[in-house]
Amino acid sequence: MKTEASAPAAETAATSQGSALAAARAGRRLEPRSMVRPAVIAALLACVLLFVPSIFSLYYVDAWTQVAIYSIVTLGLGLLVGRVGMVSLGQGAVLAMGAWVSARLLFATGLPFPLVLLAGGLITMVLGTLVGLPALRMSGLYLALITLMLAGAITVVLQNINFPNGGHGFTGYNASTVHIPPIRRPAIAASDPAFFRYSVVVAILMFLLVLVHLRGRPGRAWAAIRQSEAASLAGGINTTLFKLWAFALASFITGIAGGLVAGSFRYLNSLTFSTADSITLLAVVLMGGAYSMTGAIVAAFLLKFLQALLNDWGVSPDWLTILFGIGVLQVLTTAPRGIVEQMPKDLARLGRLIRGLLGRPTTTRESAE
Amino acid sequence: MRLIYPHVLRLRTVIALAAVIGAALLAGCGSSSSTTSAAPGSGGSSSASATTASSGGGGSSGGSTDTSKCGTKPGVKATGTPINIGTIDTKQPGTDFSDGPNMITAYYNCVNANGGVNGHPVHLFVQYDQTQPAQIAAAAKQLIQTDHVVGIVGVFDLLECTIDQGYWKQLGIYEMGAGIAPECWSTPNSAAVNMGPRYSSDGAVQYGLTQHPAKIVFVQSNVPGTGYIAAGPKALADAQHVPITELTENVPINDANSVALDLVNKAGSNGWVVLNFTPPEALVILQAAQKLGLEDRVKGWGCSTPCNTDFLASSLGARWNHKLFVNAELTSPDDHNGPEMQLYKAILKQYGSAVAGGLGSFSEMGYLLGKFSVDALEKVKGPYTMQSVNAAFKNIKDEKTELICQPWVYGNYPLHIPNNSDFTTTPDNGKMVTAQGCTPISAADPQIAQYRSAAGSAPSTNPPTG
Amino acid sequence: MPSTTDLEQFLVTGLSLGGVYALSGVGMVVLYRATGVLYLAFGAVGAMGALIAWQLSHQDGWNIWLSFAVAILFGGVITLVYGIIFGPALAGRDPLVKATATLGLLLILLGVMDLLWPSSGGASRSLTMPTDNNTFQVGQISVTYTNVIALALGLVITVVTAAFLRFTKLGTAMRAMANDREITAALGVPVRRVEAAAWFGCGVLSGVAGVLLADLVALDSTSLTFLVISTLAATLVGRLRSIVVTFVAALVIGLITAELTPVSSLSNYRDMTPFVVAAIALLVLNRRRVIMVGRQGV
Repeated sequence: MKTEASAPAAETAATSQGSALAAARAGRRLEPRSMVRPAVIAALLACVLLFVPSIFSLYYVDAWTQVAIYSIVTLGLGLLVGRVGMVSLGQGAVLAMGAWVSARLLFATGLPFPLVLLAGGLITMVLGTLVGLPALRMSGLYLALITLMLAGAITVVLQNINFPNGGHGFTGYNASTVHIPPIRRPAIAASDPAFFRYSVVVAILMFLLVLVHLRGRPGRAWAAIRQSEAASLAGGINTTLFKLWAFALASFITGIAGGLVAGSFRYLNSLTFSTADSITLLAVVLMGGAYSMTGAIVAAFLLKFLQALLNDWGVSPDWLTILFGIGVLQVLTTAPRGIVEQMPKDLARLGRLIRGLLGRPTTTRESAE
Repeated sequence: MRLIYPHVLRLRTVIALAAVIGAALLAGCGSSSSTTSAAPGSGGSSSASATTASSGGGGSSGGSTDTSKCGTKPGVKATGTPINIGTIDTKQPGTDFSDGPNMITAYYNCVNANGGVNGHPVHLFVQYDQTQPAQIAAAAKQLIQTDHVVGIVGVFDLLECTIDQGYWKQLGIYEMGAGIAPECWSTPNSAAVNMGPRYSSDGAVQYGLTQHPAKIVFVQSNVPGTGYIAAGPKALADAQHVPITELTENVPINDANSVALDLVNKAGSNGWVVLNFTPPEALVILQAAQKLGLEDRVKGWGCSTPCNTDFLASSLGARWNHKLFVNAELTSPDDHNGPEMQLYKAILKQYGSAVAGGLGSFSEMGYLLGKFSVDALEKVKGPYTMQSVNAAFKNIKDEKTELICQPWVYGNYPLHIPNNSDFTTTPDNGKMVTAQGCTPISAADPQIAQYRSAAGSAPSTNPPTG
Repeated sequence: MPSTTDLEQFLVTGLSLGGVYALSGVGMVVLYRATGVLYLAFGAVGAMGALIAWQLSHQDGWNIWLSFAVAILFGGVITLVYGIIFGPALAGRDPLVKATATLGLLLILLGVMDLLWPSSGGASRSLTMPTDNNTFQVGQISVTYTNVIALALGLVITVVTAAFLRFTKLGTAMRAMANDREITAALGVPVRRVEAAAWFGCGVLSGVAGVLLADLVALDSTSLTFLVISTLAATLVGRLRSIVVTFVAALVIGLITAELTPVSSLSNYRDMTPFVVAAIALLVLNRRRVIMVGRQGV
């Protein structure tokens, strides 16, 4: 996806409003990679792990669990969209596939939960890559469309074979069962607050995995591909390999997220996943900001926390759909980096506006866009 | 590449973001603080507060029938400590069951305006879900831990019974609702006012069998639990040695013409086609059959209870008169007008402005659930605790009503199929009319047999009057 | 298992659905060629038009044909408005960005439709055309005039559009713009006006398709919105360029879907037909390197 020329400066991981503002002020100059930032992030995460379950009711603890799980999904999609410039309209289907595989393994085997997650991630990676393989040689629009087709096809298949519910055979589905057993959770994370912490830890590991890739050779190759595929081809980069790599990595972490979905939902159902999910996922990823890792968290927040909030307030979920639609149009026309980049600028502008209203002279400096 | 109206859009982003952040903070604070306060009548649940507002306006303008009969002290507003009841309902694009809880709220508001339950007002806390299991489990915890509800009444949901059964059992909660999932009829902790897809399909097949078709073709939407539903019609057809073909169709149906054609071909000229779909899907298939002139190509058509709407009858037209036979679990509000039906209509008119669909099966079931729960609550002696309220719910028996075929009972049974006697309707020039009076569902269905042996009584029938 | 009479019976339903997919596909291809926008909100716009027609004819007592006209006009106007606002704003961007932006419109319309026409209380709506009640027999098979209209419109619109693109000034301009917008503008073609015509035309077709599909499929916002995927499959086979190939592909997709209905082992998988057809076509085209690596039409 072609946007402004400068590649996103490092991961401006601004986990709170305040630091986001600070990051925005640091703005244009490159930030030194000190030990301070990782320490701040680690402290913040520790706070999240410790305090979210105690200050929020179980209803919102569950909402935060979903945010943690879906931030992995949006991270994967953001990687494809923002780093490599490939739009997938089939990530919802990949997630459903991951959930199916993990649920099947959890019912069929006594493997420890982390191993099931890993196996689910790997199997989803293979399936997701097979899906993407033929599409990789195509241009952006065709890739998006073929993934949309595949999402539709996978939805039909899952509707017919159904999700495992403790039955036997390959599908593990028993259509006649009346008392469906819940999908098991890891012993250390049986309760909802514990499963929240478990999900956050897994999410952190996935973020680190992606970070390692971005800092390494694949990250540089992806940046080159996003700038110009022809130029990177000429520069000796095996573009097909690295695009496939990105696809595999995104599918892997989405598969892991699918395993967490299985453990968190406990009952899976073909009604739970729809073709529209993939489109909503893309919408929130664009709104959150596909170019930064914080964007993935914002996207998951928009997708899952807002939904829980509106339900609690009794507001129709249709308003959320409309909001996402407006968000997509706004992001694509005016703010290609999504909320993460946009919010600090907007807050700064708001601050200037308030100061202006209070009558103090300000230096009105238009940020270059 | 260049921006349009950047300033306008930016400002909007700022406002939107401020709202989002503020909302997040509010949610955190709200949930932590409300654990200490019972929040009587406050906006803990939006739909409750919405209908409360509407009832205030409608209080003075009485309808043709007096609604004060819903309570014990006409015109006296209940002022005691509120009794909190909770419910979980599906509300998502394409599947919106909010009419059910909205009607229960209307009933409670009527009761609250007329003396309440022993002086206490009843409040319904509604949680909506979008068929996401985690969300449904969380909603149950929200109701219990944050809203402090003492009972669960009025669950109109696609998945709730499956997901929350374990939690209810653990807490000793006996829920009442109108469900879809098999667990709503097959566990000790749930009793439904509706018949549900399996027993309603039984009823439609049972009527078809009385017409001695050569074959039954039973088709339903391809959603989880199809095997459980199909087992009922199969047992009934097998008992009469009539061959049965069972099919599923993916929903939403994209090519109804093909589906209708396929059904008719499979049934043959002396066969009987029975549909089990939501109203829109059933209508689509029946209309396609009509367009292709297929309605006379089989001996007859049957449909489970969702088809029982005048809307469907008027959409189909006269060619289906006495050709389509629909299983009906509830008395039609159009051709019955006994005192109870009048009360239902009056409450709906005065308090039910939030009930979008108006008269119909959803609001009828809402009325029944409101009535059954209030009747039970009135019998509670002493404080309203989770224990006392659920004991009262479990003790509900012999609830005679015009709206269903037989007295409703909860009871202490391993499974609950309290609504197991039904009648059959057929379109007649744009209206649904009764084709067969109340008939018990055959005990050839093993689940029905098990329930009757547990509940210990053959269904006593009180045929709908009027 | 299915006999020949079976196949003949399903021919009619397959062809009529295929006809609507074809006219939808033609609308999308024309717009894509003129503006570079793949209009993914096509189905949502049609769905909203159909719901408006239902509202006017069934609730407000309007004449049915008049309400159809309003639905079709609605499709044209909302598409034109979108085109005027977001067309120039995104003109220089990748086709992928342009297509993604239309997903924004899709989501907005989807939300608005569900708010305005909720499904509460088990409400179901239907929009039938008066032509449904007139049938004639071809051998064993009864055919409604709606079926005839659907197939005929698909055919007529394909032929007329192909001729229009080939023989009229506006059509030539559209074809030129598909190749290079800047040069076409430099040659004195009123680019904005040509684009506006394409937007409006595509919108009108979406309205027509919406009304027809509401009758042939169902008046349901979600299913009508996502039926666009079947149409997309046809346009993909036509590589988003060829109107004739799109037409043929649409008919083939409609036919295969219908003919699989009586095949019990595949019946429940027949909804996959468009995806499978598109995937196979793309793989074959890819093998022949018809689709180039890299960005197109930027």
